[in-house]
Amino acid sequence: MTAVESFIDYKAQTGLQCGSYSLQLPPLKEGQQYRFHFDATKCIGCHCCEVACNEQNNNPPQIKWRRVGEVEGGEFPHVLQMFLSISCNHCIDPACLKGCPTNAYIKLENGIVIHDDPACIGCQYCTWNCPYDAPIFHEERHIVTKCHMCYDRIEAGQTPACVQACPEGAIEIEVVDVERWLAEDMEKEGNAPYLIDARYTKATTRYTLPEEMPEHLEPMDRDLIRPAHRELPLVVMTLLTQVSLVGFIALFLGDLAAEFTQLPEPSFAMVSLVFALSAIGLPFSALHLGRPIKAVNAMKNLKTSWLSREAVALGAFTALMGVVTLLYYLNIDGPLRLLLEAVTAVVGIYGIYAQSMIYRIPAKPTWNRAVTTYRFFSTGYIGTQILALIATLEGNPQVANILLAISILLGSVHIYLFFESQRFYEMVGEDHEFSYQIGRAQYLLEHTFRKLFHFRKISLPLGAVVLPLFATIALNAGSFGFAFAFQLFGVVLASATEFVGRLLFYATAVKTGMPGNFFAGAQRP
Amino acid sequence: MVRRIKELLGVEIKEERYALADDPIFGKIAKAKKPDRWVRSTCGYCGVGCGLYIGVKEGRATYTKGDPKHPVNIGTLCPKGLSEHQMLYAPNRTLTPKIRKGGRLVDVGWEEAFDYTAQKFRQIQERYGKGALAVISTGQLLTEEFYALGKLVQLGLQTTNYDGNTTLCMASAVMGYKQSFGSDGPPGSYGDIARADVVLVIGANLADNHPIIVHHLMKNRRNKKIVVIDPRRSKTSQLADIYVPIKPRTDLALLNGLAYIIWEQGWYNETFIKGYTNGWREFVGHIQNYKPGEVAYITGLDTKLLYQLAKLYATNEKSLICWTMGINQSAQGTDTVSAINNLALMTGKIGKEGSAPFSITGQCNAMGTREFGFTSAIPGYRKFESERDRQEYADLVGVPVDLVPTKRGYRYGEIIDAIDRGEIKALWVICTNPLVSFPDQNRVRRALKKLELLVVQDAFMSDTAHIADVIFAAATWGEKEGTYTNSERRCNKANKAVEPPAQSKSDFEIVLEFSGSFGVRDLLFPGWREPRDAFEEIRRISKGRLCDYSGMSYEKIEALGGIQWPCNESYPQGCARLYGEDMPFAHGDGRARFIAADWRPLEEPPSRAFPLLLNTGRTVEHFHTRTKTGQIAILDSLAPEAWIDINPRDAARLGVKNYDRITLKSPRGRVENLVVRVTNLVAPGQLFVPFHYGTQLVNTLTQSLFDPISGEPNYKQTAVQIISEKSPQGLTLEDEIAGELTMEEGSRSREKSMAKEGQKA
Repeated sequence: MTAVESFIDYKAQTGLQCGSYSLQLPPLKEGQQYRFHFDATKCIGCHCCEVACNEQNNNPPQIKWRRVGEVEGGEFPHVLQMFLSISCNHCIDPACLKGCPTNAYIKLENGIVIHDDPACIGCQYCTWNCPYDAPIFHEERHIVTKCHMCYDRIEAGQTPACVQACPEGAIEIEVVDVERWLAEDMEKEGNAPYLIDARYTKATTRYTLPEEMPEHLEPMDRDLIRPAHRELPLVVMTLLTQVSLVGFIALFLGDLAAEFTQLPEPSFAMVSLVFALSAIGLPFSALHLGRPIKAVNAMKNLKTSWLSREAVALGAFTALMGVVTLLYYLNIDGPLRLLLEAVTAVVGIYGIYAQSMIYRIPAKPTWNRAVTTYRFFSTGYIGTQILALIATLEGNPQVANILLAISILLGSVHIYLFFESQRFYEMVGEDHEFSYQIGRAQYLLEHTFRKLFHFRKISLPLGAVVLPLFATIALNAGSFGFAFAFQLFGVVLASATEFVGRLLFYATAVKTGMPGNFFAGAQRP
Repeated sequence: MVRRIKELLGVEIKEERYALADDPIFGKIAKAKKPDRWVRSTCGYCGVGCGLYIGVKEGRATYTKGDPKHPVNIGTLCPKGLSEHQMLYAPNRTLTPKIRKGGRLVDVGWEEAFDYTAQKFRQIQERYGKGALAVISTGQLLTEEFYALGKLVQLGLQTTNYDGNTTLCMASAVMGYKQSFGSDGPPGSYGDIARADVVLVIGANLADNHPIIVHHLMKNRRNKKIVVIDPRRSKTSQLADIYVPIKPRTDLALLNGLAYIIWEQGWYNETFIKGYTNGWREFVGHIQNYKPGEVAYITGLDTKLLYQLAKLYATNEKSLICWTMGINQSAQGTDTVSAINNLALMTGKIGKEGSAPFSITGQCNAMGTREFGFTSAIPGYRKFESERDRQEYADLVGVPVDLVPTKRGYRYGEIIDAIDRGEIKALWVICTNPLVSFPDQNRVRRALKKLELLVVQDAFMSDTAHIADVIFAAATWGEKEGTYTNSERRCNKANKAVEPPAQSKSDFEIVLEFSGSFGVRDLLFPGWREPRDAFEEIRRISKGRLCDYSGMSYEKIEALGGIQWPCNESYPQGCARLYGEDMPFAHGDGRARFIAADWRPLEEPPSRAFPLLLNTGRTVEHFHTRTKTGQIAILDSLAPEAWIDINPRDAARLGVKNYDRITLKSPRGRVENLVVRVTNLVAPGQLFVPFHYGTQLVNTLTQSLFDPISGEPNYKQTAVQIISEKSPQGLTLEDEIAGELTMEEGSRSREKSMAKEGQKA
């Protein structure tokens, strides 16, 4: 056996970075960073970069930091088959970093966006935020991991694994002048078919595409439409906190009204129930974390993360509600309690607003609408329905009637928002920036989840308006039995319809990402 | 309990397992896999012959990395190579020798396996004659192993019914070279692909099958024209300047037609023809039948395009044609290879830098078995028919000359026929998997049932191993030492990095030890202990032959990163290309021959009942019958099952869409549960299915149709019908076909008149 030579300083005779284990990059000047260059005219779709990446980082086959997708366009024989190898774009304005509640993302001075593994709690919010699907949750490790451009190799003058392995030299590391890139070149060279516009996160990857491309290109996985994760803990948590908030506001208003009218003040049972909803719901969210033990760290990034803000605000809201409940228990009332309730309500409103803002992200076009925020508030109609039920049980038809009226009002708004949001699917034309994702979301609703969607359409008006209306009629007619039955059925049906609605909200949220492969799709769960 | 709670709470993030560590040779790599030593070797998958290093940690292979100093791959590997070490730990390794007892394969000791087999072989040969034993080997052993095996089979077992799966892939190239140049041996090299002005890629999808060669193809790209001739819009065609969507299996007509145009336009090289060839006058007469109008009609191509191709090839200084299975796997494969050679000969585009007819081999050591495997020739490209060659070989190795066969025995397809007839009773299959790879599966499966003894020697429990009576558990790549010779005649060294698992032995050991059980070891392998002994004999017997290894040594091969034969006193560093100024052709008179061969239409054209034409091939993630790559999760997940490419027009007519499941049938059988991929990469009326999959066995459909000269199967054109839920009767293409014909009649006459104008000009 001949002696194995050192390849660190050995440059392959290709004149390219491919094949060579050593890398020569010019030193970075002020305002410059490293970036990937991908040449689609050279890529032959061999998947070497994927395999080399996994070999380098010891990742199991299902954890791919770099993936190769495929698009096709034209008619035989004038066909373009094009591959796109994509990993992290090491954005100038990284959505992963901004959204991360634990500050686990770091943009190094050289521009590389790395993930600080020990800081991560596995909330996976970055996997929603990144419009390129670069971060991926590593179940075995309980945390998210992602491409770091082999930064420690680069620092040592070594070639990143994908770059070294590409037999066609289609992937390279380059130095980019950030200002110049943002001002001119990103527009021209920063975009590729079926990727979100580079402007959103100011992605730095430069793409070389064929000079002539067919007008219409399609991903090979265009008909492979898989639901997104159902996020059950989040379904429960968001619903309970939203219902709790509206219930609490109703109690606050009731407490206020009791000062000026003949109405009795809210009962302890009502207050403790509303508190319990949040107190149970909030910890539920920890179940979706990879590392529940570190849940508290979610509050670290108030500066840029809506998730941190939500966690802090809803935590405070629940704690304050606890104090209010205690005051009710101790029968302490008066302006001090009212003031505390007002503060609690404001904190709660901000909390649910922050919660809704978590979903207002470009990477999930069906979420990224004002209607998401409105619906997060109007879902609370169930809260007033529950309180009305308690009022009925407590023999307070007058209070029940008022609460039912509010329920019907809120429920009507909620129904309106539901149909408004459905109209959205119809209105999205082919020229819409996200028509591909929205069309897939619509397919999931109307095909994959056909039955659930059907149930949702029928149960919503029944639970939100019809049954509460019947209950009011029964109450006014003096039939306690019917009123109770209608209300109980109403609460159950409303809860069921909102549960299904929220499930669909998550499961049909098709992300922006990359074009995928026929079998493997975009290689993301 | 504590562990489960910790797991639930996510306490541990396993940083250590995913940490990096410094390797002195390759830099930062995964700490958990950081090798304690690197073993230099050569890839064991395809015929490109990439140099690599195997990383070994505590006796286990953990890395495969490209050798940046190797001239073939310059540090890169394909995805199969990059994950090659994983193959060693596949769950389907054979591990121990086995004998079928009471219907079950039972682990036995080597002695029992060898003695049992030797005794059975003897019994069968005594009862039915020597030829009742047949051996089918492979292109994947080491040259030393091929050589030992060939000696054992031909001189020890004394059966000439010995062939390799190379007959399924390269035999047509072998016979085509022999017809034209007088010997096997690919004349070109990868460097020629890099330096050519014009490269015609015919029937080769390098991007999927030989990704590392694309690296050479794309060199000097600005000054190079790449033409890809393929019925399918392959990945490789995407790299071309000109894509030529030729009708299936009309390549021989095209090549004859290009020869006609080159002759007609006077673009041929008269000096070369006069100086180095025979048969020109007859050939010119022959190509008069291939006037452009006629050829345009046959091939479905535009006459103008034909002229453009002929001009590109003939008038540029450095032109190279490379090909693989699209040419070889055809009932006219040999003649088509010779037709490529004709073009090279008439323009003198051979033996010069950047110019060659150049076949790209499919297996890591298809070349090794061609040179020294003793199947289609006596080792060292010697002819069975030549008394002088037989005597020379017998003298060199010290065996009685009457042991050396006087003619070749049955070829692969003929062996199957003979088994079916009951003539062959015992079969020894080595490192190949006919139960996926051979055409007309129902027939071959029926035939193999008639065997009295089926011995399978393999490192993996292939489909064929599962029906074997005896299994010899072999070692594989990385577990043994020897040489592989690649497409460009480069002999590379492969080294042992780890011990074979469990009871497995290298094929070299198996052959030697079995020869002992058969009682011929002392005669054939006196004093042999290790592969080097075989290599020394190979050097000796190849001296003075075209495939001359006499100037090589293991040490020199490693020092130079492989050596291209011939390597001797004249070419101490090896030789980049054959038939240069100082190297005569291998026919007796030193001249090459023009081969006048006629194109024939398809034997089984699309018909009313089977209106579609099925093409088969490979995909980059997998190798052959997936005994290895099917076990590697990262490769498997990218292409876990076979699919069928259907043009959108046909898909619409069939009422099928992406991910639908269809049944494919031909006159010979059917394949169920094939997933549909609607794509414009295939032409209307044509289909493509990869052949790798035992689960969707596309070779159930292919024909028992072989090239009469090479014996290579015609895999690539099969008339089939698609049955889907929506159209249980399948497709009727009557309207379509009629329409197409009238349209083409029109274009035919138009092209004929154009051709006439061309002639006048």
